[in-house]
Amino acid sequence: MGLPGVKEFVRPETLDQALELLRQHGERAWLIGGGIDLVLFVPEDAQVVVDLGRLPLCYVQEKAGGFVIGATTPLREVLEDRSLEGYMAGVVPQMLHQVASPLLRNLATMGGTLVSANPWSDVITLFLALGAQVVLSDGKAQMIPLEKLYPARAHRGTILTEVHLPAPAAGSAAGFWKFGRTAFDVALLNAACLVRMAGGRCVEARLVLGGRPGLGTRVPLAEKALVGSDLGDATIDRAAEVARESADVRDDRRASGDWRRELVRVGVKKVLHEARGRLPGGER
Amino acid sequence: MRITLAVNGTRCTFDAHPGETLLELLRREGYVGVKKGCGAGDCGACTVLLDGRAVNSCLVLAGKADGSDVLTIEGLSQGGALHPLQEAFLDEGAVQCGYCTPGMILAALDLLTHHPDPSEEEVREGISGNLCRCTGYTKELRAIQVAAAKMREARHG
Amino acid sequence: MAEEKRPVFVVVGKNERKVDGVALVTGRPKFAGDLDLPGTLCVKILHSPHAHARITDIDTAEAEALPGVACVLTHKNTPATRYTTAGQGYPEPSPYDARMFDTKVRFVGDRVAAVAAESEEIALQAMKRIRVRYEELPRVLSVDAALEPGAPVIHDEKDSSGIYDAAKNTAADVDIDVGDMAQGFAESDVIVETVCETQYAQHTPIEPHVVQTSLDEDGRLVIRSSTQVPFHARRIVARVLGVPLHQIRVIKPRIGGGFGVKQEVLLEDLAALVTLRTGRPARIVFSRQEEFIASRTRHPMRIRVKLGARTDGLLHAVEMEVLSNTGAYGAHGLTVLSNVGSKTLPIYNKAKNVRFFGKAVYTNLPVAGAYRGYGATQGCFALETAMDELACGLDIDPVALRRRNAIRVNESSPIFQKLGEGREGVEQTVKSCGLERCMEVGAQRIGWESKRGKRSRDGSRVRGVGMSIHMQGSGIPQIDMAAATLKMNEDGSFNLLIGATDLGTGSDTILAQIAAEVLGVPVSKMIVTSSDTDVTPFDTGAYASSTTYVSGKAVERAALAVRGQIVHVAAAMLAADGGTLDEDRLVLKNERVVAPNGRAVTLAEVCQRAMYQTGQFQIGATASFVPDESPPPFMASFAEVEVDTETGLVQVVKYVAAVDCGVAINPKMAEGQVEGAIANGIGFALTEEMLFSSKGRVRNPTLFDYKILGARDVPPIEVILVPSYEPTGPVGAKSIAEIGINGPIPTIANAIYDAVGIRLTKTPFTPERVQAALRARHPG
Repeated sequence: MGLPGVKEFVRPETLDQALELLRQHGERAWLIGGGIDLVLFVPEDAQVVVDLGRLPLCYVQEKAGGFVIGATTPLREVLEDRSLEGYMAGVVPQMLHQVASPLLRNLATMGGTLVSANPWSDVITLFLALGAQVVLSDGKAQMIPLEKLYPARAHRGTILTEVHLPAPAAGSAAGFWKFGRTAFDVALLNAACLVRMAGGRCVEARLVLGGRPGLGTRVPLAEKALVGSDLGDATIDRAAEVARESADVRDDRRASGDWRRELVRVGVKKVLHEARGRLPGGER
Repeated sequence: MRITLAVNGTRCTFDAHPGETLLELLRREGYVGVKKGCGAGDCGACTVLLDGRAVNSCLVLAGKADGSDVLTIEGLSQGGALHPLQEAFLDEGAVQCGYCTPGMILAALDLLTHHPDPSEEEVREGISGNLCRCTGYTKELRAIQVAAAKMREARHG
Repeated sequence: MAEEKRPVFVVVGKNERKVDGVALVTGRPKFAGDLDLPGTLCVKILHSPHAHARITDIDTAEAEALPGVACVLTHKNTPATRYTTAGQGYPEPSPYDARMFDTKVRFVGDRVAAVAAESEEIALQAMKRIRVRYEELPRVLSVDAALEPGAPVIHDEKDSSGIYDAAKNTAADVDIDVGDMAQGFAESDVIVETVCETQYAQHTPIEPHVVQTSLDEDGRLVIRSSTQVPFHARRIVARVLGVPLHQIRVIKPRIGGGFGVKQEVLLEDLAALVTLRTGRPARIVFSRQEEFIASRTRHPMRIRVKLGARTDGLLHAVEMEVLSNTGAYGAHGLTVLSNVGSKTLPIYNKAKNVRFFGKAVYTNLPVAGAYRGYGATQGCFALETAMDELACGLDIDPVALRRRNAIRVNESSPIFQKLGEGREGVEQTVKSCGLERCMEVGAQRIGWESKRGKRSRDGSRVRGVGMSIHMQGSGIPQIDMAAATLKMNEDGSFNLLIGATDLGTGSDTILAQIAAEVLGVPVSKMIVTSSDTDVTPFDTGAYASSTTYVSGKAVERAALAVRGQIVHVAAAMLAADGGTLDEDRLVLKNERVVAPNGRAVTLAEVCQRAMYQTGQFQIGATASFVPDESPPPFMASFAEVEVDTETGLVQVVKYVAAVDCGVAINPKMAEGQVEGAIANGIGFALTEEMLFSSKGRVRNPTLFDYKILGARDVPPIEVILVPSYEPTGPVGAKSIAEIGINGPIPTIANAIYDAVGIRLTKTPFTPERVQAALRARHPG
């Protein structure tokens, strides 16, 4: 059977009830959104499974130009949200179309995806580039940048309730790219960027590489090569080369580090060109 | 734990182990049309509709289905008449060994319910989580389009 | 047969719905794992963690003591009989090198022990309590290492038989030749040589192996198994367990895919022994991991092909050398090896000097077995790559080169006689061959003329087209036997009892179509019972592409015999008072027997008369068929690919397969066979690969990390059935099930060459490999 070690399955209706269960059961409690990673990895200490699915955290809302996504929203709902299509030229649904399968997207939740921190996560790579923030609650709600969520164990005892995507700043655009072995696959490497231009110059660049096989992280040297530039072809090539040289990529059973390093250059070029093409004024 | 859910329209109460999956529960209760191919969400043979949405039942803890509606392949043909998807799969030669078929049909049902006029790319994506080793997908993709047309006709006819 | 003389069919050639179709689309309990018998024990296998080791001690006392454990099996309490797991005709042409449980383990995944318990949880707990002491032995993880002088001997046991040279880890060896090779190459104007390698790949049927055993009310052993070879399973289980064959019944329900992995007696012996020891039903269901590790795989191979030709491209000398990795046991080792040549070389019958030789070598790796294509898939890669190199080297169009050299109707090849399935073959002349037309149609549909050599570009992506030609066989001549029984019911319906094994291929349906055609009834009047050793007559099983041709001919014969009985009864009914009627002039159609003067009787009336009224007898017949030859189906395979030079990603833009299977009994089903085989072959060419650790452990035994094609990956596949008429076949048919899978690797390899000028000789052509090859050509 799936998980013989599980003794109890509880479904709190409110955040307070959920937090009380966490306090009550401590290390024996295991929070789930969809529960996919629980069933796949069967952590030994998961004896009381706390299903957050009944909490009123299933929503995608516009807020002051940005978006707020509730933690128990299935990825499918995020994918199909009409208003999110208009955010950053639709980069979020563009990414989600490449994540897993419709079956998994119907079950996986936004909160679960962010907390599970599968290192190949396309959601995390893109959301780090977009400058997402998450709300954690232990009774008191606190908003922190997404990168501060990791390692997730550090926040044990809290519940992630929302992820916030910031309002797009003027002159900004984003791109996303993923490379897998077949279409239904995790990323051997993924890349995302957000660039902001002002007066014809790049004033902000966030470049994230994930599936390295490590979790999405920024590539500061490559970002530096972009800031202050005109984001021309030569700059993009150079940034891609810098990323290729400086990226932390390694072997795993899916791909070699050397191969990933080659893909870094391709991926970085692709996302930067894609973002540039989305800037007001279009492809130069 | 005791859970109550509607399976194929009938309310049922089951005794389930808290760590049991929906796939295990359903097969144990006789819904053997729900197949196990991998137990890990990779193949889609275990697909059922949970509250109208196609999911890998091998990844759903049984407790999550408490209070929900579950549709398995056994519930698809109303009073003996085959669903247009079932008819189309048969007519188009899209059934070979039939092991992936129930899951594939239910995934297609989810797709067509929410996207009644899908493009070829949308159909491919709609069943991208359902692996088939016999057919090469060619006739399955066609069968889904044929069924979609029939279903649109029935809706507007 | 000339076109005008070909019969017009009523049921054959129609896209009849599968006879089991409704049950499958409604999820009826038709599969081996769907039957729940009360008291069924769950059986789990303890697999070896070592690639090569002796079991020096095994203590099961603690495991047996666990409440809920019914029995624990090891080498200490099971038969020591040596056998082969290969589901082949007796005497099997595979070494008897396996034991139920051995004192030695030969690959990571090999059987060490088994536990039968009340539940899976208890069985798994009990397994943890089995104490095993191993003496690790040096392992060999490649064919080259296995053949090194002084290499560890994998099969050093004294009681195995049929191994070619155990001391040299060689399970099988083949060497045949025609003509004079040295002279042949000396006389050639141009010589081309290539070495190709194929990888460990797995069938991944969506349904894993499952066996359910029980004792019936008479105490007989009933085995319900997802097997392609029910009769071989019965015989082998009887022998291994020392149980009289007549005490065993094997039933094959619906199978969720096989592709050769279920042409093996893999688990039946184990479940059966548990049932015999405990008196209780037992079930074994393989996990997906076990499918990869402990079932069967493709034989990885290294194949060298050397071609000698004239400047006009006519082949004069062909040499093929094979090194096949058969894994830890030799099941199918010899026969797959032989097929590498027997199902490829005859297609180029103009070459007067041919040599085929090679070895199947043991390694401490998962066991290779039967897999659709059965050696031809690997052989085609090397042969069709060499042909492409020859064409390019001589600046001859690849299609034209094939035309010049391909076998034609009324021709033969000495290879047919020289190379059979592990022994001498059978001489034969090709009596049907649509290959010429296949090439013509395929080339046209892919746009060969307009695309070849164009290398059209879109940014970093370049396109190219490639092709290859193929043959396979239809059964094993003079060895395979199939039989069919038909009996009539008084409503004009028939029971068709066939040993033939439908593994999703639809053989129940097409065999019903053949019988229905002969007897002038719709398929709905044919009640098919298949693959039950108590009820259906013998059939070797579903392999060697034998079902349509061999089982089909047996069905045709039985139907003709029954037809003869029907017309005999009908003649008496239709004759004018006191007169006689020429039976030869009676026609069976629309469920009636019709006389030349228009008078008719229904089949129901005929059977009622025979069953109840006068000169009563059961209208029915059993017929058998052993083929004298194995008429090849033919295929011309074309693909357009797009190579992304930045990432090395190869995508198939369009795939065209033109196939001659004689008469297609059910065209949609025939197409479906080819489409599925092509999708599998594309995975074999581009994405599928079993990876191993340095200790011989499979690193990716999951569908998560062993990537088969999904619905978003499969390209548009166009299958064109090019009709021909095989006079020796039932209603003119040949086989179709395997040939499709042979196309993708060489076709795609040749298309990649057209696109970017690199010759890839190792599968799969992953982006990493393609990129590396591109960079090697253009460093910097």
